[in-house]
Amino acid sequence: MKIIYLTILAAVLGLCLWNLFSAKKPSLQATAAMVIVPLLLRLFLIN
Amino acid sequence: MKKHHISALIFLAIALVAAGIAGASFLSMRENEYIAKGPGVSEVKMLSDWFPALAGSPGDTEVYILRSESSNDDAASMLVLGGTHPNEPAAFVAAVLLVENAQPSAGTLYVIPRANNSAFTHNDPQEGSPQRFTIKTPDGDRVFRFGSRATNPVHQWPDPDVYIHASSGQSLSGNETRNLNRGYPGKADGTLTEKVCYGITELIKKEAITITVDLHEASPEYPVNMAMVAHPNAMPLASETVIGLEMQDIAIGLEPSPVNLRGLTHRELGDFTDTLPVLMETPNASQGRLRGKTDEALVLTGIDPWYVKAEKLGRLYVPYDGNGHPIEERVGRHVAGIAELAFTWTLNNPERPLEFSGLPSYAELLDTGLGIWLKAPEQ
Ligand SMILES: [Zn+2]
Repeated sequence: MKIIYLTILAAVLGLCLWNLFSAKKPSLQATAAMVIVPLLLRLFLIN
Repeated sequence: MKKHHISALIFLAIALVAAGIAGASFLSMRENEYIAKGPGVSEVKMLSDWFPALAGSPGDTEVYILRSESSNDDAASMLVLGGTHPNEPAAFVAAVLLVENAQPSAGTLYVIPRANNSAFTHNDPQEGSPQRFTIKTPDGDRVFRFGSRATNPVHQWPDPDVYIHASSGQSLSGNETRNLNRGYPGKADGTLTEKVCYGITELIKKEAITITVDLHEASPEYPVNMAMVAHPNAMPLASETVIGLEMQDIAIGLEPSPVNLRGLTHRELGDFTDTLPVLMETPNASQGRLRGKTDEALVLTGIDPWYVKAEKLGRLYVPYDGNGHPIEERVGRHVAGIAELAFTWTLNNPERPLEFSGLPSYAELLDTGLGIWLKAPEQ
């Protein structure tokens, strides 16, 4: 169960990173960066 | 490199720094605070010594044993649980105060200050709770964590939609699956929370614990407050204890353990073991629904204008004025309750006494504050 969850999480994190680098507007890039923070904390099981 | 790639790298760097700072703060909650071994402590064990499956898990926790010299296998014993709910700080601090000060002269005292160890490692989401609170001692500050009501979801996940209590089949809302005080008597192959319950039940059975005291706090608007809740088996002991406390001017109610609310210490430990279980509640604004700003000061003083207002509107079950309910008062109630339980037990069972000295009285704690009863932090 945990592995499936973390795999989905890693995939969403990957999409966010892709979004961060493909977006051209700084406001969209900032949004992607903000979403990355909690995803990272969860991926490493910190919070 | 394109211009928007450079800005993406800058945003990524900011995100990594933010995650690093937040991560360090969250991880710091996993470090146990200092608890001194008081003069009465004869041994410190781990809960996994009674239930080895807990070894190395975030549910394993210290068990402080304070054995009197005269204690033998037949002697009376008391188990005190602090930190069943780590967002109820007086329960935790009272258990620490016992470990650091109590000196048993008859019988054995077992104390588990962090009963739900995992729940100390995080805060409840969206509550704005402080991570820690500080109590000043003559030799320096003592810092205690203010945790969550429930096991850390990082340690036990996912929650079911409906939590089904293992031994009764009672259903509760899904997040109660991580509430230690809904999991008793526990399940050896259950969730982490159920395993901790099982470990505590094993300790009670194997050590033949005479009296089990589960320390709590409750929101001022919660009906069971400033009260002792007792299993039917413990009712004679608890009712005499409550009279003893009232004679010390400590207002306290007595509540029978509800028959149909399952998984709680005062129900299951009485049904499944020979111990006499009681639970105590003190008023804690910092866990209440009506509270205003939630900070360390609220944890320590209980001063909150909204609770004063709620009391005037008749919405509370405890008296509430501008003086709040300071942590000295709440810890004092718990410590006085424990001392009175031991006193009442000994009065009725002089052949199996349970006696400890070194503890402050309720009046003394109100007078001196908590600081002088807590050991200086280790340098
Ligand atoms: Zn509680």
